[in-house]
Amino acid sequence: MPAPAIRTSQLTKDYGAGRGLFDLDLQVTDQEVFGFLGPNGAGKTTTIRLLMGMLWPTAGSAYIFGLDCTRDAVDVKRRVGYIPGDVPQFGSLTGSEVVAYLGGMRGGVDKGRVRSLCERFELDLGRRFREYSSGNKQKLAIVLAFMQRPDLLILDEPTSGLDPLNRQEFYTLLREHRDEGATVFLSSHILSEVEHICDRVGIIREGRLVHIAQLDEVTAANLEEIFLSYFSESKPKPKLLPS
Amino acid sequence: MIPILFGLRLGRWGLIGFSAAGFLSILAQTAGFYQIAGNTPAERAAFGASMSALAAQFIALFPAPIRPDTVGGFVEFRGIHPLGILLCVWALVSATGFARGDEERGIVEATLATPTSRIALVASRAAAFTIAIAVASAAACAGYVVGVAFGHETGELRGVLEDGVLLVALGLACYALSLFIAQLVPGRAATAAAGGALLGLFLVNSLSRELQSLVAWRWLSPFRYYDLSQPLPPGGNFDVRAFFVLVAIAVVGTAAAALAFTRRDLGSSLIPFPARHRPVSVAPSPNPLWRIPVVRGVYERRLGLLAWSAGMAAVAFAFVLLTRTIVNVLLSVPALLPYLSIFVHQQIYPAVLGYTWLNVAQLLFAALAITHVARWSAEDVDGRLEMTLSQPFSRSAVVVERMAILTVIALVVAAISGAVLFVQSHAQGIDLNAGRLVATSLMLVPFALVFAGAGALLAALAPRAAVGLLGAFAFASYLDVELATIFKLPTWLQDLSAFKLFGTPLLTGVDGRSLTLMVALALAGLGSSILLMQRRNVGA
Repeated sequence: MPAPAIRTSQLTKDYGAGRGLFDLDLQVTDQEVFGFLGPNGAGKTTTIRLLMGMLWPTAGSAYIFGLDCTRDAVDVKRRVGYIPGDVPQFGSLTGSEVVAYLGGMRGGVDKGRVRSLCERFELDLGRRFREYSSGNKQKLAIVLAFMQRPDLLILDEPTSGLDPLNRQEFYTLLREHRDEGATVFLSSHILSEVEHICDRVGIIREGRLVHIAQLDEVTAANLEEIFLSYFSESKPKPKLLPS
Repeated sequence: MIPILFGLRLGRWGLIGFSAAGFLSILAQTAGFYQIAGNTPAERAAFGASMSALAAQFIALFPAPIRPDTVGGFVEFRGIHPLGILLCVWALVSATGFARGDEERGIVEATLATPTSRIALVASRAAAFTIAIAVASAAACAGYVVGVAFGHETGELRGVLEDGVLLVALGLACYALSLFIAQLVPGRAATAAAGGALLGLFLVNSLSRELQSLVAWRWLSPFRYYDLSQPLPPGGNFDVRAFFVLVAIAVVGTAAAALAFTRRDLGSSLIPFPARHRPVSVAPSPNPLWRIPVVRGVYERRLGLLAWSAGMAAVAFAFVLLTRTIVNVLLSVPALLPYLSIFVHQQIYPAVLGYTWLNVAQLLFAALAITHVARWSAEDVDGRLEMTLSQPFSRSAVVVERMAILTVIALVVAAISGAVLFVQSHAQGIDLNAGRLVATSLMLVPFALVFAGAGALLAALAPRAAVGLLGAFAFASYLDVELATIFKLPTWLQDLSAFKLFGTPLLTGVDGRSLTLMVALALAGLGSSILLMQRRNVGA
């Protein structure tokens, strides 16, 4: 039986003063689109950075395709496409140079694939990174994550800064990838986005996973109800659903 | 008041660092004087003569000292003048950091979104810098007063205060000029343009001490008006008119910068530079260099490499031009002839070039390493390191590639400046040993790598503080070699200074032990930074 795309066990990153991520047990299966919901500072980005091997866990473990996220970080990243929460700054490099630079680190770039992605999102790679609007910087991040056709996509608020048309195009792209066999782990604040594209959703609050639900079990309306119930003191908390 | 406090808050590390540097360096020089100058009038006179000879070698950098046999004359020459240059660099970085750095980070836009006018913003930042540099200058003056107290003397308080206000005025003049130039050119070029202009003004003044053709132009330079006063030594002077010229440059320059700021768009320059038309592209760059490790990093820094190579070549060229003049000055001092014949064995030209050019080259190569460390820190903060590590690329490979890139760049810069030195000295009839020159130029590479190794370690430990800490390390290394003999520092401590380890390879050849130690220090820095990088959090 193949290893799950993502598996974490008691994964903890303790920043002190109650901040961080605590005892995360999670399993994301192949070809699943998993949405990670939570308010600002809940621990979504910490989880993603732990999976990407950027952070060293205080306790517990995280595996991607059976590989340890910290010990086997290089091998993990051969199979992962990543969009960070904050688009990195590439200064005066042009978009085409950024693609060649990071593609070169993967041993080469599929030019046809890059062309196709840029045409879909109407991204001009001839311009300097510093001249890009925030939306165009996000489009470049999407191109960088998808250009290698990765087996797993780890996306931290991937549609931030995109206009509605490009957001729809991104959802289409994501579904295509899922249909081609890719797994997706994405964090988002947008409930309708999660409802559109995710198979399963996890809600995180103050560093702890508090709820996991199959999307087909909930409608958009009660997803919002569930989400708000965790972050509004006056509403009763629903029972945890089995993952 | 709040905008001024905000400006001070943004520049707090500069204030703390330069105040500490001012206090410690002046204290060390003052206390050091009493250790090395002797106690009797005869000893002090002999010491003053040797300092005058030394000063002749640095005539291209600093004005000739007045009464270097006294603590005031010595500290003015060895402490205050170098500190003046340091404060000008701070002024440059602060001004361009405000005009362009804060603008790129959105701080200027956020401030202007409040009911704050552009002129008020410029005025508040200039006021904040005035306070900061006044504190740093006061710290330097305090260093002198404390140092003199160590020598059981009482300093001339008026001279100290005059030196303090002179340093403030010089710093403010440089700040104003940098701020004005930063309004004229595009953001990326602001620091380079302002730095180039300040360097040009500095050289016009300092080279005019030797080159008559520049005398007619030195009135343009604020450094000229700084030079006209040396208030610390007995018999020194404080030129009030020159001081007010510096103040006028500061006021007019700041006003011009404020006016220019009101006339330009945020993010643009006052002088419009037409945008280069680039065809729309949806293809990755076909340049194969982006795929080759190390080469891609050197290629990305190609403009910087060009600038460093050209700058170092120009400085080497200028120092060879000055060598004959300096040697003539040295030979004109009868008291120095026995010293010269004993210690330099007819190799006076290599000796003088070694002291002048290589002293400056070492400082510049340390600066080259610091600029690379600054970039490593920036990559950590701006998310680029995270993006690199999201590729199948190990953390060790990141550290090794960074060091390899710096090695290649240092090698190219050293080779070009060495070649210019050789060709120009040959043209001037100065006979340099080609083998030693090659070895000396190559020695600059491990020299830079010592700082890079320390920088890599600091960048892995504390990326946000790495540049400041490395600057302090470089400063301490420089003081180490300067003051080792004064304070009789233990050998092992002296050996940690790359400045000490570099030695005088142009005169005496490369010392194998020193070279081995430099390589070992660089490798120790590299190895420990690789280990630290394995376990540290990125992007946290």
